[in-house]
Amino acid sequence: MNYTMVKRLVLKDWYLQRWAILASLAGIVATLGIIATGGKVSFLIGLILLIMVIISIGAQMAVATIVTERKEQTLPFVMSLPISYREYTTCKIWGNLLIFLVPWVTMVVGSCGLLLLSPSRGMLPYAVIMSTEILLSTCLILAVALITESQGWTVAAIMAGNLAVNGIGYVVAHIAGIAKGMWGSTIQWSGAASTLLLGEFTTIALLLGVTSFVQSRKKDFL
Amino acid sequence: MNGLSVHFEGVSKIYPHFTLDNLSLELPTGTIMGLIGANGAGKSTTIRILMGLVHQDQGQVHVLGREMPREQAAAKLNIGYVSEDMRLYGSATLAWHMKFIRSIYPQWEQPYAETLLRRFDLKPQQKIKGLSHGQRVKAALLLALARRPRLLVLDEPTTGLDPVARQEVLAELMAVLADEDRTILFSSHNTLDVEQISDQITFIDRGRIIASDNKEMFLDRWRRLRLALLPDAVLPRLSGVVEVGGSGRLPVLVTDRFDPAMVSACNDAGATVQAVDPMTLEEIFVANVHSRREKQTV
Repeated sequence: MNYTMVKRLVLKDWYLQRWAILASLAGIVATLGIIATGGKVSFLIGLILLIMVIISIGAQMAVATIVTERKEQTLPFVMSLPISYREYTTCKIWGNLLIFLVPWVTMVVGSCGLLLLSPSRGMLPYAVIMSTEILLSTCLILAVALITESQGWTVAAIMAGNLAVNGIGYVVAHIAGIAKGMWGSTIQWSGAASTLLLGEFTTIALLLGVTSFVQSRKKDFL
Repeated sequence: MNGLSVHFEGVSKIYPHFTLDNLSLELPTGTIMGLIGANGAGKSTTIRILMGLVHQDQGQVHVLGREMPREQAAAKLNIGYVSEDMRLYGSATLAWHMKFIRSIYPQWEQPYAETLLRRFDLKPQQKIKGLSHGQRVKAALLLALARRPRLLVLDEPTTGLDPVARQEVLAELMAVLADEDRTILFSSHNTLDVEQISDQITFIDRGRIIASDNKEMFLDRWRRLRLALLPDAVLPRLSGVVEVGGSGRLPVLVTDRFDPAMVSACNDAGATVQAVDPMTLEEIFVANVHSRREKQTV
């Protein structure tokens, strides 16, 4: 594995997507600011906007760096460089994850910080589980974009990921171990929360592993 | 493998509606080979296999001594590749692309890149999306040439260009290549482009190489004989005739092994040779394709 080339290609995607990254960061900070003003309405509006911004940036990165690269025919340029397809896949997975982690970590740190400062500290396990679910949805979009290289399937994955965030959010909020302390002022980290979090990270690892495996078996790259 | 920049041996690639069939090809170091074929003949598939972008189902491919596709990364370090379907990043400038390529290829020559900028009349600060198609092709050529590749692979670079831009690109390319000693594989369905640049010609049709030779050999050996038959004369059977056309009394023979003795053989058989015409590469290509397809049908 030529890590120098992988690094160069990751930096290339960072450079080409720099305005989208900056815009998402500004969006995250602005929505956290809305939540911080207090009040039920601003909390709800801020939360909806926050989820919208973070899901959008994950989807945008997969579309812009993978699907558009094929659609706008910049992929032959990239593949003419001294890299193998394995290195290309590695660069796309790490490049997208690293780009996404910048606004994601900002969101997690900011929202957890706000919850710790508020009387709704009991919401923290739920917030961590749902943030990880958003990371999982982004990995799903990334996997589908890389494996199918299709705009249609990637859009379907974005929609599925979006629906999953809402559906899983509802289900998780009704799991006894989570719901019990959710509206309290103390953090109650239950066994159910740990199991869910472990399940999410295992699924992320599986998704990325399967993506690398499928990519390594491809025979046609253009 | 010494002396060969590209070596294909029994290479096959099977798609549902197209098969690249048992292709063997040798490109000696220092030669400029033109790969000519109609649209869908297999030129791009051949080049993609050469670049490691498509894996062959059968056969061996070696490029610059590297086994493909396994060692594609190492091979591509010495290959400059420009294809008709290759685009640069529209939102970035040419200067950014040059800096990006320079960071990857240690053999990048900045003074040479600047010479090419002037020669191609390109502005480094201009964004790619603001360039015309001809300028984009020139920009891609600059990025491929300034890295000083041992092998230059050009897959239909002039396709889609208007006649003026096409001629400009070819003229600049020839000027650039005039003082170079590089191995080049140039594919096109435009025989005129290939004829101007190449010294070795390979014809490909329906996934098979149908002829491969020195350009001068093609031009020397292929001739069109215009005959006039006397009333009782019969068209003589001559070896090397690949196509018989014209009308009954005024036949036209096309041969791929012209010999002056053919003229006297015709005369002896009562067929007056009215003219022996040289053929263009395009005519040779078309006659070659027709003759092979007829043989296949038979």
